[in-house]
Parts: sequence; C-alpha cells; structure tokens
Amino acid sequence: MSGVLFHEQTARQRIAALADPGSFVELLPPPERITSPYLAQLGIPVSFDDGIVIGHAKIGGKKVYLAAQVGQFVGGAVGEIHGAKLTGLFKAAARDKTPCILLVESGGVRLHEGSAGEIAIAETMRAIFECRALKVPTIAVIATDIGAYGGIGILSTCCDYRVMTEHGRLGISGPIVIEKWMGKKAYNSADRALVWKTSGGKTKYLLGDADALVHDAPEAVRDAIAKFIGKSRAVSLGSVKARQKELEKRLKKFGTTNDPNAVWKGMGVRNVEAASLASGPEFAALAKRGK
Amino acid sequence: MITAKTALRRQNKVQRIDRVGKLARGKFVSPDKVPEILRRIIEPGDILCLEGDNQKQADFLANQLATLDKKDLRDIHLVMSCITLPAHIDLFRKGMIKQVDFCYAGPQSTAVADLVKAKKFPVGAIHTYNELYARYYIDLTPRVALIAAAKADRKGNLFLAANTEETPAIVEPTAFSDGIVFAQVNEIVDKLPRIDIPADQVDLVVQAPYPMHLQALFTRDPAAITDVQVLMAMVALRGIYEKYEVQSLNHGVGFNTAAIELLLPTYGERLGLKGKICKYWMVNPLPTMIPAIESGWVESVFAVGGEVGMERYTAARSDVFFTGRDGSFHSNRAMGQLAGHYAIDMFIGASLQIDINGNSSTVSKNRITGFGGAPNMGCQPTGRRHPTRAWLKAGAEANPGPGSPPGRKLVVQMVETFQAGRVPTFVEELDATDASIRKALHGVTPVMIYGDDVTHVVTEEGIANLAACRSVAERQAAIRAVAGYTPVGLKRKKRETEDLRARGIVQLPEDVGVRPSEASRSLLATQDIKGLVRWSNGLYDPPSQFVDW
Amino acid sequence: MEKFAKAFPSKPLPSKAAKPWALAGVVGSGNLEVLLERGSRPTNMMECHVETSIPGYKASWLAALSDFAHHYPAGGTKITINDQGASPVLVNLRLRQAYDHLTKGEK
Repeated sequence: MSGVLFHEQTARQRIAALADPGSFVELLPPPERITSPYLAQLGIPVSFDDGIVIGHAKIGGKKVYLAAQVGQFVGGAVGEIHGAKLTGLFKAAARDKTPCILLVESGGVRLHEGSAGEIAIAETMRAIFECRALKVPTIAVIATDIGAYGGIGILSTCCDYRVMTEHGRLGISGPIVIEKWMGKKAYNSADRALVWKTSGGKTKYLLGDADALVHDAPEAVRDAIAKFIGKSRAVSLGSVKARQKELEKRLKKFGTTNDPNAVWKGMGVRNVEAASLASGPEFAALAKRGK
Repeated sequence: MITAKTALRRQNKVQRIDRVGKLARGKFVSPDKVPEILRRIIEPGDILCLEGDNQKQADFLANQLATLDKKDLRDIHLVMSCITLPAHIDLFRKGMIKQVDFCYAGPQSTAVADLVKAKKFPVGAIHTYNELYARYYIDLTPRVALIAAAKADRKGNLFLAANTEETPAIVEPTAFSDGIVFAQVNEIVDKLPRIDIPADQVDLVVQAPYPMHLQALFTRDPAAITDVQVLMAMVALRGIYEKYEVQSLNHGVGFNTAAIELLLPTYGERLGLKGKICKYWMVNPLPTMIPAIESGWVESVFAVGGEVGMERYTAARSDVFFTGRDGSFHSNRAMGQLAGHYAIDMFIGASLQIDINGNSSTVSKNRITGFGGAPNMGCQPTGRRHPTRAWLKAGAEANPGPGSPPGRKLVVQMVETFQAGRVPTFVEELDATDASIRKALHGVTPVMIYGDDVTHVVTEEGIANLAACRSVAERQAAIRAVAGYTPVGLKRKKRETEDLRARGIVQLPEDVGVRPSEASRSLLATQDIKGLVRWSNGLYDPPSQFVDW
Repeated sequence: MEKFAKAFPSKPLPSKAAKPWALAGVVGSGNLEVLLERGSRPTNMMECHVETSIPGYKASWLAALSDFAHHYPAGGTKITINDQGASPVLVNLRLRQAYDHLTKGEK
C-alpha cells in the first residue's frame, strides 16, 4: 500500500515520473529567471518558473509536449509569464503536430495580473482548438485537491481527454464561491465529503466529464496518458449538439436532487459506502457508468 | 479512655443521603432535580471531585453545579485532573472554590492564567495524574465525587465503555471512605454489556439529557505530517529505537511520533527491525498505529483512554488491545500511567520549550496548561528493578556510580527547533520561571520533564545524548549543538560541537545513517486518513471533520 | 521583502557533479525554492542570494548558509533562494536536497 502518490509530488517530480527516463527537456528553465514583474512590485515572492514547468519529453518512446502547474505557488494561478508559457506550449504542439499534456493544478487567473491571465487562458483555449482541428491530442490531468477551477476549469474541459484521480476536483466556481451565492444551507463548503462528492474525480468520471479515473500513482497516470496520446476527438457541430443533449438529460435526471449520493446511485453505484473507499479502476468497476 | 470518635463520616453520609429524601427514587434522580440535590449533598469545606478526564467529562453534572452560586455552595476544595469546560471556570468566577488541586488545563489554559492573575484561582498544586490519584488515597480523599459513565443498569452498576480513563481511581477512594459517588450516564438499560463499577460503590445516578462530552484528542491526520517530521522520525528510529532495541514504549500525541508509527511498516521494515522493536505499547488507540498493527509489528497495546472512531477496530483486534468480556475496548488511566512509569523502555514526547539544561515546560504567564501524565512516564523510575536490554544499555552509557541503578529508562524529547510562527523551542530560561507563576505555585517552577531525567534530545539537526554527558557544561553544549538556528543554537562553538560529535554525544543525521534528502512523506505507510481506513479494512470510522469522501 | 547576498568560503565542489543546476522546493506559504548552479567564481567560495518575504532574520539565514558551506564542499556554486517564510529547518533540508540533486543527479 505504500509508494509514491502522484498528488503529493511536486510539479517537477510528476514530470520526471511520467516521462521516459532522462527524456524531459525543460523550456525556459529556472536558471533563465523569467519571473513575474507584477508580484515583485507588490512585494510578493516570485518563483523561477512562475508556477509552471514546460518542456518536451517522450512517453513510451513518443514525443510529447508536457506542462505541470505548481499549485503551491499562488494556487497555481495564471499570470502573464505563466500564461505565456502555457499558450506557447500548446501553439508549439499544434505547429509540430505533437500531443500536448497539461498536469493541471490551478484555481484560474492570478488576481494580481488578472487581465494578462484572462487573455492567456483565452489564447491557450484557441491553441487547444487548433490542436483538435489538426487531430493533435490534448490531455488534461487533474489529480490534486487544488484541482482545476475558474478559467483553468474551462480550459481543461476544452482538451480532448481528462484523466482524473479521486483527489482531483474539477469545476468553475470553487466551493466557497458556491456557498457565498447559494447559502450555507444549500452548499456547505466546509463539508469536505459534500465538496468531493460534487466536484471530485469519482463523480466527474461517473458523469462523463473525466475520461479515465486512475489510482493516485504516477504509473497509473502514465498508463492512462499513453492510452490517449494516439487518439483525438474531433470537434464538430454534431459532437457539440450530442454533448448538449447529454447535459440536458443530466439536468432532467438530477436537477432537483440535493443529495450527491442520489447522483451516484442514479449513475449505477449500488454500494455507496464501498465505492467511497474504492479508488481508480476499482471504483469504476463498482459503477455502471452512464451518460 | 477512648478518644477516637467512631464512624462519624458514615453517620454524616447517611445524613446527606437523607437530605436528598424524595428528590430521588432509590439511587435514581431526574435531571431537573440535580442542582437541588448537589446543594443538599455537598457541604462547605468538602473535598469535591468533579470528573474531568483528559477525554471524557462529567459535563452535565459540571453544568448543573455551575448553576449554583456562593450562597448555595462555598469553601469547596476542588480536586480534578483536567480543567476543560467553561463550567469549571465558572465555579472559580463565582468564588465557590477555596482551593483547587489539578493536573492539566489544556483547553482552559488561558482562562486559568487570567484567573490566577485576578487571584481567583487558589492553587494547592499542579500534579501529575498518578500523583493526584495517589493523594485521593492519602490526604485528598473526596467527600463527594461527580463522575461520568456510558451506561447504568437498574441497580446502579456502571459500564464505562472505551473511556474508562480515571473513573475507578476516583470511585474507589471515595466509596471506601463513606463518600458519595454520583454518576451521570448516557443511558439506563436493563442489562449492561459488562460491569466496570459495581452498584455497591454508586450512590446516585442521573441519565443526562445529552451524552457526555468526549474529546477526540489523538487523531493525527497523516496529511499534516511534514518532510522535516519524517526526517526526525528516521533519525529517532535509527539513532534510538534501533540502537537500544526499544521493545516497550509510550508515544506522545504529536505529529513527530505519528510519523514514526507510519514509518514502521515501510522504512522500519526495510531496516529489518520488525520483531526487534516497538512490540509492547502503553498508548491510546492511535489511528496512525493501524498500519503497524496490520503489518504485525505490535504484540499489545494498553491505553489510558479510548479514541473516537476506533471502537470497531479495537474490538476486531482483541489480540492486540485489552477488551472486556463483551468484546469492547478497555482503558484505565491510573494503571496505564503506572505501566508507563515502571514497565516501558522508553518515553518519547514533545514540548513547547526546552531550556539549556534540558528542562521542559508548556506553562507561560498567559497559558497555564499544567502537566497531565507525561511526567509520570518521562522520568527515571528509581524503584525499577527488572532489567531489559534497552534499560541496561542506556544505563551502561550513563556510566552509573556505585550508588545508582544499573539501568536507565530512555526519556526522549523530540522537537523541532522552532514552533509555528518562528517561535524558538530552545530558550536560555523557561517562561515557567516567571515570578508570578512561582508565587501562585508556592515556589515551585512548573517543569514538565526535568533535564536530569532526559536521556536524549532529538531535533531535525540530530541527536544530543544527554545521558552520556559528563558535566553540566557538556550537557549545555550538546543541547546547543542540536538547537539549530535558535538564539540558543547560534551560541554553539564549532569546535565544541565537533568534539561532542567525535565522541558520539552529538549525532547528525548522517552519523546514524540517514540521508536528509531521502526524508519524504512518500515513505509513510499512508499519507491520509482515508489510507488509514483502507489499512483497517474499513473498521476505523474517523470523526467527520477528517472525512472527505 | 528583504534581499541580501553574501559569499562563504567552501571547499570546491567535486568536479564530477551530475548536473549544471538543481532546484529544490517550491515557493509557497512556509516554503522556499533553492536554485543551486555550478560554474561560479572563485571555486573556493559559495555565492548566496536570498530574497525572503519575512524580514528580520538575516542573522539566522547567514548562520545556516555558513554552516552549509562549512559541511559540504560547495565552492564554485551559486545559490539563489526565493523564500515565503520557511523555517530554518526547511531551509537546511532544501539546501541538502538541492546539493544531492546536483551532485548525484537525483530528482
């Protein structure tokens, strides 16, 4: 039961664990010291990589572009430098027709440099859709409790595939924001079980927002990525309409419930208690995943 | 000529019970009558024991007592181990207490400090647990004891469930000296799972309108253990556990020792230490021990109290834990502390402050916490005669003189050099030496563990073997050597440190075979509470604040 | 923010260090990042640059760095630190980790 947990690793450790040994080449590495000028002006500590490590590597012998956000640094939030690195990487992926993988850990835009962050996220989305039009696979891995929120939540769902673990969370508004809007009665952000049952990897997998639910281990994440780097999903009017239908069905089925367990049961989970403790594929086996 | 009067206490008890009269039906009373009954059974000048243990609290009775005031009850000599609840503090604010003898005031430590400043907290002494229980049999025998139990039957037999804690240590001296034992219970039933206190020793019983308060004190979330704590745990395992072959031990409740527990099935296993160390424990059922227990490291665990959520797990592991005929967990604070005093190779715990002589304390002018049980275990039991390998080895190292015992208990202080907020752990002089504190305590400085009893200090810098020091100056140099970048540590001299290191008195992580860059949370058997539940095969039910699934 | 720089005498770094640079830690609350680079001059000095969010602890920073330069052959390296309130304990651990990565090529 022991071993390295993916969610406990640093961004650099994650990359090292996923890439073929020695294959990772970092672009704009720390010795280049390209740091945020805004944070420095505000007296906030800067980081040599501005909260994102980017580069290229091989996974199973296949060349990929790879980025990992650093959640501990201002919540992994996207500022100007961080955003430019992210945009550039996906643009390079489109240019070179090379799969691009983002290890997500971000609450969205960095407030201290908000406009630059918003623009960067929008430009990255455009680059992602450029990749998709060219059938270049894009994959978001969401595997930590910082998760993917705000603009990065949206950006993650623009990718072809999402790989999640039970620790990962995916949404637009974070739990505290939801509580502020809906009231504590409707959504208590301190109720950790509720938060994970609504935005956590297991629920996202059941609802089809995540394409793979894997163990919290680097090998499991790598295996899932390896399965997706050979495939892509076209975006067409037909696929968007089909997705819209699915969402309408989901709203009809669960729109009035306020019990997250009811959603699990509705998606075919018979033994909620056992499923709560199960992880990755074992969880998937306990559920009859629907659409 | 006969001068001794006979059985006056017994006559007095009969009078008190008579005063209760029709307010009770037999031993049983209804909750609304409790304040009046307390007024009738307690007399001015009484020694009153109010059960407030480390975990469970006779909170209903305490709250009812606090509805009375000075005209109902005065000149009370309060004896209780833990001052925990706001109701306890109210008794002092109302001026009902003429003296208090206690052990620990954790959650109320600031309130107690304020009362001391206002001269409303007349302390007899701050005790260690067994010291106070011992005095219940000598000069502090309660006239009335207000206690807490899980269940009573129709005769007044009591079931104490997992949290026996100190109830027997209160009931026995009271009941066998014609005192009155008044129990609050959660439930009254026809048949008890087992009898922990016989009805014969119980005078009054009330079913409280709410279940007794129980603190979850010993749950440490592995997610909060840091890499630095893992480093210290590795150093302690190699430099102390492995070196002395520590077989029987007590662990404190901190994250440092939680890290050690979680390293046993991984790092400890790799070092080949399974079966050689950590077999017999005097410790509460710590959830972080589950992986070590499941991996077969642990022969037995005796506990001073229970822990919320560990009920099903302990019942299912009755080969390891002490359980009653009903199959459920049993604890006993007095006996556990006795075991921790005489029968273990090692006590290892943390402290807020350690001075240059190795004395430690958690008391300051603004926080009077007291002692609890640590000093009962964190001391040299000079009444000990039985040898163990660890005891003899530590004794030989301390180079005993002709007039001292051949062995030594390992008394280990394991601390980071800084507390949260960059407050240094190591100080030249303890805050507890403050003149106003000493005055309130009749000239006693509240020292938790005395430097003379400490054999080792472990920090992230390394180990200082105080037992091997040959002079006071040497001991101070050894402490400075591991005090890191605190003001105490910055005064160390490089040459002195090198000399102590050459003699093995100071050991850096490298000296005990630990590479600091190896220290990582990934070595822990599990990194979160959910992992503990999985290790327990679903038998551990963590409190809801720890659950995110 | 407080910023300072100082060089400490240290035995030269073993010539067969595995990597040109190594990074340990991340900038986050109570944490820091240490960038350790080879190729600085002179080879018997360890050059240090610290930027910390909590001013007032220069003495303990310098003591920690001086001890490190004393214990490890790190001459000819440059250490740059971005700190967000790490304890001296963690500073030490990160320095040792970065050093191990640089000399032994570990991640």
